[in-house]
Amino acid sequence: MAIPVKDDTKLVTVKIDDKEYQVPAGANLVDLAKWYADNDIPVFCYHPKLEPVGMCRMCLVELGSIMRDRETGDVVLDDNGEPTVRWFPKLQTACTQTASDGMVVRTNTEAVDETRENVLEFLLTSHPLDCPICDKGGECPLQNLTMEHGPQESRMIYSDKMHLQKHVPLGDLIFLDRERCIQCARCVRFQDELVGDAVLGFHERGRRLQIITSSDPGFDTYFSGNTTDICPVGALTTADFRFGARPWEMTEIPSISPWDAAGENISLSMRLDRDFGGRAMIKRVMPRQNEYVNELWISDKTRFGHHFTRSLDRLVEPMVSFGDKLTDQSWNDAYKAAVTALEGASGDVAAIAGGAISNEDLWELRQLVEGLGGSRLGAWPPTHGGADLVAEVGVGQDTNLKELGAGDAILVVASDLEEEVPIWRLRLKRAQDRGAYLVVANARPTRMEEFALDTQRNDKPVEGAAVRYAPGEAAAAISDLKSSNKDVYDRLADATNLVVVAGADGLDLDGNKALMQACANLLIETDHVGKANNGLMSPIPGPNGMGLHYLGYTPEVTQDIVANPPKVLIVAQAEPAEDDPTATEWLSKVDTVITLSLFPDRTTSYASIVLPIQSFAERDGTFVNGERRVQRFYTAQGPLGEAVPAWKILTTIREKLGQGRAKLSAAAVMLEITKNVDVFAEMRYKNLSQVTRQFPEIGGDDLYYGGTAYQNRGGLGIQIPSAADSGKVKAGKVASVKATKASKGELIALPITELYNRSNAFMPSGLVHARVAVPYVTLSSSDADDLGLVDGDLVEVSFEGGAVRVRATVGDVPAGVALLPQHLTDEPTPIVPTVVTLSKIAQPVLA
Amino acid sequence: MSDTPNIILRANDVENIRDFDVYVENGGYEALKKSLEMGRDEVINVVKASNLRGRGGAGFPAGIKWSFIPKNEPIKYVCVNADESETGTFKDRLIMETNPHQLIEGALIAAYAIGAKAVYIYLRGEFWDVAHDLDERIAAAREAGFIGENIQDSGWDCEVYTHLGAGAYICGEETALLNSLEGLLGQPRVRPPFPANKGGGLYKEPTVVNNVETLANVPWIINNGADAYKAIGTEQSSGTKLYCVSGHVKNPGVFELPFTTTFRELLYDICGGPRNEGTSFKAMLPSGGSGPIVPLTDEVLDTRMSYEDTAKLGTIIGSASLIIMDDTVDITWVASKVTKFFKHESCGKCTPCREGTYWLDKVIDRIMAGEGTPKDVELIANVANNMQGATLCALGDFAANPIIHTIKQFPDDFAKHVQGDTEMAVAGD
Amino acid sequence: MNLIKGFATTFKHVLEEPVTLQYPEQMKPFAERFKGRHHLRRYDNGLEKCIGCALCAAACPADAIWVEAAENSDEQRFSPGERYAKTYEINMLRCIFCGYCEDACPTQAIELGHEHQMSFTDRRDAIYTKTMLIDPVPEGADGTPREVEPGVFTRAIPDMPDAK
Repeated sequence: MAIPVKDDTKLVTVKIDDKEYQVPAGANLVDLAKWYADNDIPVFCYHPKLEPVGMCRMCLVELGSIMRDRETGDVVLDDNGEPTVRWFPKLQTACTQTASDGMVVRTNTEAVDETRENVLEFLLTSHPLDCPICDKGGECPLQNLTMEHGPQESRMIYSDKMHLQKHVPLGDLIFLDRERCIQCARCVRFQDELVGDAVLGFHERGRRLQIITSSDPGFDTYFSGNTTDICPVGALTTADFRFGARPWEMTEIPSISPWDAAGENISLSMRLDRDFGGRAMIKRVMPRQNEYVNELWISDKTRFGHHFTRSLDRLVEPMVSFGDKLTDQSWNDAYKAAVTALEGASGDVAAIAGGAISNEDLWELRQLVEGLGGSRLGAWPPTHGGADLVAEVGVGQDTNLKELGAGDAILVVASDLEEEVPIWRLRLKRAQDRGAYLVVANARPTRMEEFALDTQRNDKPVEGAAVRYAPGEAAAAISDLKSSNKDVYDRLADATNLVVVAGADGLDLDGNKALMQACANLLIETDHVGKANNGLMSPIPGPNGMGLHYLGYTPEVTQDIVANPPKVLIVAQAEPAEDDPTATEWLSKVDTVITLSLFPDRTTSYASIVLPIQSFAERDGTFVNGERRVQRFYTAQGPLGEAVPAWKILTTIREKLGQGRAKLSAAAVMLEITKNVDVFAEMRYKNLSQVTRQFPEIGGDDLYYGGTAYQNRGGLGIQIPSAADSGKVKAGKVASVKATKASKGELIALPITELYNRSNAFMPSGLVHARVAVPYVTLSSSDADDLGLVDGDLVEVSFEGGAVRVRATVGDVPAGVALLPQHLTDEPTPIVPTVVTLSKIAQPVLA
Repeated sequence: MSDTPNIILRANDVENIRDFDVYVENGGYEALKKSLEMGRDEVINVVKASNLRGRGGAGFPAGIKWSFIPKNEPIKYVCVNADESETGTFKDRLIMETNPHQLIEGALIAAYAIGAKAVYIYLRGEFWDVAHDLDERIAAAREAGFIGENIQDSGWDCEVYTHLGAGAYICGEETALLNSLEGLLGQPRVRPPFPANKGGGLYKEPTVVNNVETLANVPWIINNGADAYKAIGTEQSSGTKLYCVSGHVKNPGVFELPFTTTFRELLYDICGGPRNEGTSFKAMLPSGGSGPIVPLTDEVLDTRMSYEDTAKLGTIIGSASLIIMDDTVDITWVASKVTKFFKHESCGKCTPCREGTYWLDKVIDRIMAGEGTPKDVELIANVANNMQGATLCALGDFAANPIIHTIKQFPDDFAKHVQGDTEMAVAGD
Repeated sequence: MNLIKGFATTFKHVLEEPVTLQYPEQMKPFAERFKGRHHLRRYDNGLEKCIGCALCAAACPADAIWVEAAENSDEQRFSPGERYAKTYEINMLRCIFCGYCEDACPTQAIELGHEHQMSFTDRRDAIYTKTMLIDPVPEGADGTPREVEPGVFTRAIPDMPDAK
């Protein structure tokens, strides 16, 4: 099996320890030695995802090349008829070498062995050797390589060692141990090269060289946790895991991030815990290698946001209201109440499901509703309407965002990817680094726009990289791109590959649908559909936004449910009343609300039956990510109270309603889905858990990349083919959109997303609280002047269904609109663009 | 010696040659004009033919360095390495103070030869007064049309800038210099790509980095031809060299001499022999702290101070900063001093140098304090050996040199310490 | 005759010192290295030696040891360095008294003592918790957790002589 490279890459012959290998030209020597020759050249500073710097000197090897006659080009033979090798006089760093024809490498000679031992001796002279209390101990590259190549005893007198600070908080989340640091700069380079948030750096020089953070607050990035994974020693540790367990004590359970459409593959490190009643508990969340989805990275939200699964606020018992108050009931009574309510609805049953619910749950819910004669299945939130188009012209089979590069183009419309899907933002920014043309279109500034316009980095096309449209005019901006912005359009059209990410930032459902259609049309017109690395993606909220679509739940139906409330409404893992200030009004018109919920919230207070469900960590299931990849997650954590998986609740109710026998496992539900839903035909659990060899190979028995969690044992998932993959698709008509109009003295509030917010699921992760923004509203300076507001003023924002008090900030937004982030205030804020009025609140003068 | 011209120290012949008018009156900037007529390739050919070798220490032929620059790249740079930080080296400063226009002219010729439009003169941080002075000289040259747009109606534009470092020895290493110039941490880069290649130079563009003295030679070569230059010096070391002599001699200073001069001629005839009566020369660091130490035996004294002859002695002439020690000097103390210097100046990027210099310093401190054992001497010799050849740039090799060669050449000095003799003489008393 | 011989042997032994000990009133002296039940040691200044590294648990062939670690602070210090054992339990029914835990311990915090008289009426009583295992605070020293001056106890495996 070859290292995955572009088809036209030339193969060259490289000799490693007297064996010849045909390898792609230009491949990194460390990588290819590992891949082809199973030869672990030890490294510290090198990482296959980072640019080599050759500074740790661990990978020194003997390097030479086969001599060729300058005139004839023939190989020069020595007296024995063997090719003559011209050796470098000194050992060379393998990590900075790329494969070329005639390269000869020796890794098993005495000189190489000696150098490895010497370099390790040098490193250990300054290392504190406090492995017993080190979080990395047990999966530490320095430990591993010392065992393999290191000196047997120390020649350094212990008292000569340098003593440095052992507990330096780089930020709220990451601690630095200056003694353990071996100055490999992996963390610095990760932040610089991959993330683009250059918040770490070196300070001082020589033995005093140390890592510092240059941002305020410290280590200000959404990806800081990854640096602890790639740190080859225990110098960087997370505040979340510190001393939580030893690596060998934990069991790695494959899972999927429950937060966003990327569907990051994660590994839940489980260990029994006294404080959790002796049950298995998530000790840490680690990335799991899936080169198609998240490579080796996860966002800090995924890593540190797992605490909700054990929150004391979780619903742990079924509750039923017989009069006006919900009271704890046994499951039996709760089921009885539910069956009675459903039977009494005479078919007028509808359901609304959220984006974080698994496919198994969705299927059982649909069977239940349809079995009762209902047909209305709504998706929550009713803002993202393009799932059908993603199914049609979504990114093609075998798409891998890491393959995008020079000659390719990326268009991001109406989405603040940094806040919505951080991993997509990381990978697309990286594609731009490789030379892809990134265009960001939005009504307001976003982080992605900064990257698109960045002139600091070399070889970067920046002309026309940012398109600003009037609020709500996203669809028109894309439809008219050809006429209004011909240069940009041509570059997108002529790109080898084109990926479009279209969201609903600042749009309502109609606006989003029109935009999605416009983007789909652009892709179809320019023939960028139905092939790998081409097509449409959408940051639909939740890890299973596409699953909602494939199993028949649509936002349009949600709108219909809102307009015509049913007799019985089942709300499954959705919190409409927490998201939408108008929800209380329509929820109160429903006779009986049954919720399947993790937390008691505003929605459950409208319910007469509340059924506690299990979180993703406690059960099996599948999600479909934004690239339509069906991915499996596994039971990891011990159950909480009486909570039961949603599919199990639903299948039990169905049995009690006489809709057939209850199913016994999530796998059985999935089996039924495979038989009934065409696109899921291949998605049996066994197939979803298949893993093939991935490049770069990381986290197996290797010595130097470390981590017991990287290895993917849970499956790479299977991508559902898009309609365009199997046949022709036609462009559709872009509906005209009615813009929200504000009269004098009013503003239009555009809801925006903050990654760290005060939602029920994120709040239990106390560690990240300090990073949650103070509730704010951003408005233009002209509007601020008109309203007599300055930065930092307390204002009341009033809208239909409520009002919130927030801080005013003045920013780069168009006049007439205000950016109002969701889930930062206790009260819900508008979920779609809404007319609001702002009034200044006099602040009490502090004595 | 009197028959060789002062190519660089022309201030010895012409008063106030540092002033623009005086410089021009004495044939200044003629070489630049001549170069503009000769064309780029011819300039490189002449410099190549002259066998002008880099005066910064490594001795790489300047013409060959220039010829590595790809012709079809639109952006190229010339960087002048004026980060003169080697111990005992003070020649570049003298050039910039007494004959700055010759450097500027040389740098402009280099820039013209490779087709660069900008010259950066990177000075060590302590040279702020030199930089200030240099800025004025540059302004004078610009006023006369030798710098700026369309120089001497040739259609070629070139700017000259000075840049002050922050005081790091490592920034004399060419890639660290480029990093520092770019505003990054002064740490060397991995090579390849070399500065002359696309991707390896300043802002990733092809760049020539030359020492001050190297470039100051160029105008003379252009004016007088490669053959005249080759006629001076030895077979492999053409021209003259500035020798910086310091330490236990009667007349220390900077002397411009052809490479054919022997150490004896320099140290006895010119510098007047040992400083103090009753002492004799013991040892010499011929290239500051970074070169291997040699005992000043008759064999050494009769060696010519050329690249090839010093190599035969197992040392280097390098930047020709001769630190002379008489027999009152304790060589262990020298090793300790130089080691402290390199520990202080190691950038910390690569492991053997960062950890090795720290470790060596700790052990040699112990030896100096009289707490060492013969095993400790073995240890530092071995540690220094392990550093050598394993580091990213030459600083690691330099740092190992004083230990390896002092122990090799003067084992008795070390033996005294580990036997408990802690009394030491201090140079300069 | 044989009878006399037999009785003679019997009477001879009657006069001899008995071999049997009147356990538990009487006890055999222990070998110096007898491995009885475990003790968690303290430094003379009262701080716990155990740093919660769980190497004992890793070394234990019977899986009898359960350690959960937590972070020290200068306000609430249990042991020197950053880490201490929040939970430390040994299941004496599982323990085979092999002493591997003692071998594995980097701070000599766990030592097998001479006590061997352990009997339980409930299996749960066989789990010895940290409070049962840890030595009493030495006379004159403070107990744990306690507030200490910042920056004094920074090393987990300290150069801290027992007598201090």
